[in-house]
Amino acid sequence: MHALTLAWHTFLAFFPPDLSPSYLRYVWLPVLQTIGMASAGMLVALCLGIPLAAYVGTRAPGWQSVVGVLSALRAIPDLTLAILAVVIVGLGPAAGITALAVFYTAMVGKVFAELFLAAPQAPLESLRSTGAPRLAVAIFGLIPLTLADLLTFGSYAFECAMRASVIVGAVGAGGIGTELVGAVSGLDYPRATTLIVILALLVTFVDTLGWFMRKNPRLALVLFPAGLATMLLNPPQVFVLRHALVTFAAMFPPLLDARALAALPVLLWQTLEIAVGGTILALLLAIPLALCAARNVVHAVVVAAVRRVLDISRAVPEIVWGLIFVVTAGIGPLAGALALGIHSAGVLGKLFAEAFENVAAAPVRALEATGAKRLAIVAFGIVPLAIGPLAVHTMFRLEWNVRAATVVGMIGAGGIGEALYNAQQHMHYQSMTAYVVATWLLVVLADVAGERVRRRLGWNNETT
Amino acid sequence: MHFSPISRTRFLKGSGVLFAAGMLAPAAVAAAAPLRVGMIPDAGATQVSVDEKRPLRDYLAGKTGHDVDLVIPTNYNATVEALGNASLDFAYLGGLTYVQAHARYGVIPLVQRSSDQRFHSLFITQSGSDIHSLADLRGKSFAFGDTNSTSGHLMPYYYMQKNGIDPDHALRYRFTGNHPATAKAVEAGIVDAGALDESVFHALVENKQIDGSKVRVFYTTPPFVDYVWVARKDLGSPERQAFADAFLGLREPRDGAVLDILRGKHFVHADDAEYDTLRGVARALGMM
Repeated sequence: MHALTLAWHTFLAFFPPDLSPSYLRYVWLPVLQTIGMASAGMLVALCLGIPLAAYVGTRAPGWQSVVGVLSALRAIPDLTLAILAVVIVGLGPAAGITALAVFYTAMVGKVFAELFLAAPQAPLESLRSTGAPRLAVAIFGLIPLTLADLLTFGSYAFECAMRASVIVGAVGAGGIGTELVGAVSGLDYPRATTLIVILALLVTFVDTLGWFMRKNPRLALVLFPAGLATMLLNPPQVFVLRHALVTFAAMFPPLLDARALAALPVLLWQTLEIAVGGTILALLLAIPLALCAARNVVHAVVVAAVRRVLDISRAVPEIVWGLIFVVTAGIGPLAGALALGIHSAGVLGKLFAEAFENVAAAPVRALEATGAKRLAIVAFGIVPLAIGPLAVHTMFRLEWNVRAATVVGMIGAGGIGEALYNAQQHMHYQSMTAYVVATWLLVVLADVAGERVRRRLGWNNETT
Repeated sequence: MHFSPISRTRFLKGSGVLFAAGMLAPAAVAAAAPLRVGMIPDAGATQVSVDEKRPLRDYLAGKTGHDVDLVIPTNYNATVEALGNASLDFAYLGGLTYVQAHARYGVIPLVQRSSDQRFHSLFITQSGSDIHSLADLRGKSFAFGDTNSTSGHLMPYYYMQKNGIDPDHALRYRFTGNHPATAKAVEAGIVDAGALDESVFHALVENKQIDGSKVRVFYTTPPFVDYVWVARKDLGSPERQAFADAFLGLREPRDGAVLDILRGKHFVHADDAEYDTLRGVARALGMM
């Protein structure tokens, strides 16, 4: 009980947010840095990712190995990339841009490649039969055929990049992330709240921008001036090639001493606990929330209110919830699981609500015709009918949470992430690489296991 | 697929906003290149904490004749790496970060507060707790600061071991990330006890950021050598000299504002040999 009272008091210390003009004057710079980093990272990702995806999509020689490399890169958590980038290109936004560019090139490349591969083959064949070269097939065939999906995913990726630019800021890449970590560790909670509110607004802004982008794809061109300007004005602090190479070389070969090796299984287990615990919590929260956010279950007013709640919990990335829970619930796996749970509840809540709204109308009407009560219709009609999509989304979330669990570990939630962070902090770079490899294997295994289960159960693929 | 024709004004507005974002954000950061001075985030790292140190920055700029860019990276390691990859010219390091940076990148020690040569860590607990000595820590929960902190981790850990308490087995400990967070965690009762930098603790109590009646010091370590200002290896000797002289010339009460920020009274030359004992401890504990 004592612990709960404490947590509550700490929680209250986050209110009210500091909205004084003098503070808002400070934060505009980090805010612009965050927008700039996300735009620049995304610009690079699109410029590299689309050609790579087209290469795969036209089934050019060796396309399978390109897919392999992209999948492998994608399994490295963004925060890990940011840590490496700070070591190699120095402090500041350049490191953030580098990390985001790598992460999103892999993400955009992989997902676009899948979309291209799934494109209808007949029009492509007829293009090829005219003797058109690969490039022409890609430009006039693949891209127009899949444009709607490309735009949907592209704007989703941009929204993710905006959140991720906060994540990479947490290790010294600048922007709101750096401010937020500083504010929380400096016990400056009201300012942390201000930053979280700004972040939520930013994500909503990007979300809206994405909606316009899907209608007017040319809006995506805004990435060019914003991204280019940020890159030009934030060259790497110094890029000493020799230093970068020496540092990089010092990370190999991956090495763990006997004691660390013995502790490894426990660390991996803790990370899995965070991931599974977070997903279960998210599931428990998401089902009732989603029911209150489905138009076919409750009144539109309730739907609108609950959806805003879901938006907020989703707009705040796991690492930020993690920072809050580490100070309120204390350091350890519980804080990590809570962080993953709250963020994932926002994600799952939205997806579940859509699944509930999409259930077949006929069986529900049949139930209604029997004179069943509202609750009974929900319990015996809507929920069972949506169980398939619910399971698919949850499974994907679990996979995602394995990755996220390593990230929240780095800010004090324990597990392999914390070990990785400590090794990096102590400059035990060979052990750090060993932990990076272990993390990577865990994520890859989770992805593979997830795919197996889905295939066995006959659930179709979906992109995240 | 159908695209409605895009409105030119909307497009211009949209790109204008993002363009302005891209232009302005970094401009203010990249404008002044000159002397880049970093400080480990031992008391948090924000734009505000950088701004609070403006008198220090202005003082250094005046004395060295260069513009000064003050940077507080979010963690200790980033500060060391920044000296290595030359994204910082000078930095304020803790004892442990210094021996790491010296071993890796040959950074040169310049000056330190006279108090840094005989520095102490304080062990604190709640006023009413039953902890009165290191031995009472057995089975309790405990907070260290940053894992790379000398007075918040390395030396407290070392003295606990020396006094027969093995922190890895005798108690449950966690890292809070910095000294104020440790003090706060003890004050709030999140942990039973914690260890931190004496100068930060006294400043927190003095500024009422911590309620002095709620916490009590129950152990003070023997003295050890801690914080130091360093230059990166290949920086010119005139710059190093000017930077060191700026600190050596600090006098109370004339430079009170700057000295308050530095939590010190008087600066002296620093020397690598002072750190031999600390280096031994860091090696023995596998921290470098």
